[in-house]
Amino acid sequence: MSRRLKLGAQLLALGCVAGLLALLVWKLAHQEHAPKVGTIAPVFTLRRLEGAGKVSLASLRGKPVVLNFWASWCIPCKSEAVVLERDWARYKGRGVVFLGVDDKDFASDARRFVAAHGLTFTMLEDGSGSVTGRYGVAQVPETYVLNRQGRIVAHLAGPLTYPRFAGEFRQAIAKAEAA
Amino acid sequence: MIARLLAVVAAALVLAAPAAAAGCARPRTSLAYLEGQVMCPICHTTLNQSDSAAAVQIENVIRAKIAKCWTAQQIETLLVANYGPAILAAPPHKGFDLLAWWLPIAGVLGGALVLAAGVWRWSRGREPEPAAGGSGLDEETERRLDEALARFE
Repeated sequence: MSRRLKLGAQLLALGCVAGLLALLVWKLAHQEHAPKVGTIAPVFTLRRLEGAGKVSLASLRGKPVVLNFWASWCIPCKSEAVVLERDWARYKGRGVVFLGVDDKDFASDARRFVAAHGLTFTMLEDGSGSVTGRYGVAQVPETYVLNRQGRIVAHLAGPLTYPRFAGEFRQAIAKAEAA
Repeated sequence: MIARLLAVVAAALVLAAPAAAAGCARPRTSLAYLEGQVMCPICHTTLNQSDSAAAVQIENVIRAKIAKCWTAQQIETLLVANYGPAILAAPPHKGFDLLAWWLPIAGVLGGALVLAAGVWRWSRGREPEPAAGGSGLDEETERRLDEALARFE
């Protein structure tokens, strides 16, 4: 093999390795992680699950927000739905906003779920899971509590039916209302 | 007149009901095929490798659509509209995703070209075989060798 051909092959191989390395770095840099408590929650605009129109998280600045990620196929979400609706009834008079984000789901199944569990707080569609991804939700249900400035005061990764979450959830709302 | 019309409509409904209940007589795709084409959105494997609740839900939707004579393309379009393009196991044949289809082919072709060029160079660079029957020595060396051998005879 001539020197030039050998050099060309070596450069090509080096280029391929560099390309793969760049791809790996890009993938690592763009990996989605759960936003940390104390940081501003990623803003989004999603379509309402029922009825027309969209809801923007940014438009809710000034109000404490409970952001719950769920899906109709999720088993723990069924028991959690009861807890959420009860808490919504308790806090809505105090100006706390509850938002349910339906993740990687069929809207028709989600609507059936909402009707079956008598959920009355605002439900949003995230069929592709793009918002869920930005919140680093690994497995639904997960709940974020945001204060009036849109800053995360708590991240509860799991159903709110967990005994330890009951106290944490109330404390988080109190903290969100105070800020 | 109205009574006769109502009777005709009622008869049509009675006849149509079993056909509708029977579903699609000749399905245009199969669950087995689509299970290999569609990803489970939470486990990142194809549906046939997952038994998660999300995968089961999608399988149920696929079954229902197959029973309504939907094609694989129609079902995939519905799933993409709901979950986004990542729901399909194979990347789309357009835009940036085309790279995923063409890069492996380009890689194989490039590798074959480099290999072919290497083999060609290698075969050209080899020494020619000595002529059959010849000793491969020049005349002077051959003469001296003969003289030396003659001394031993």
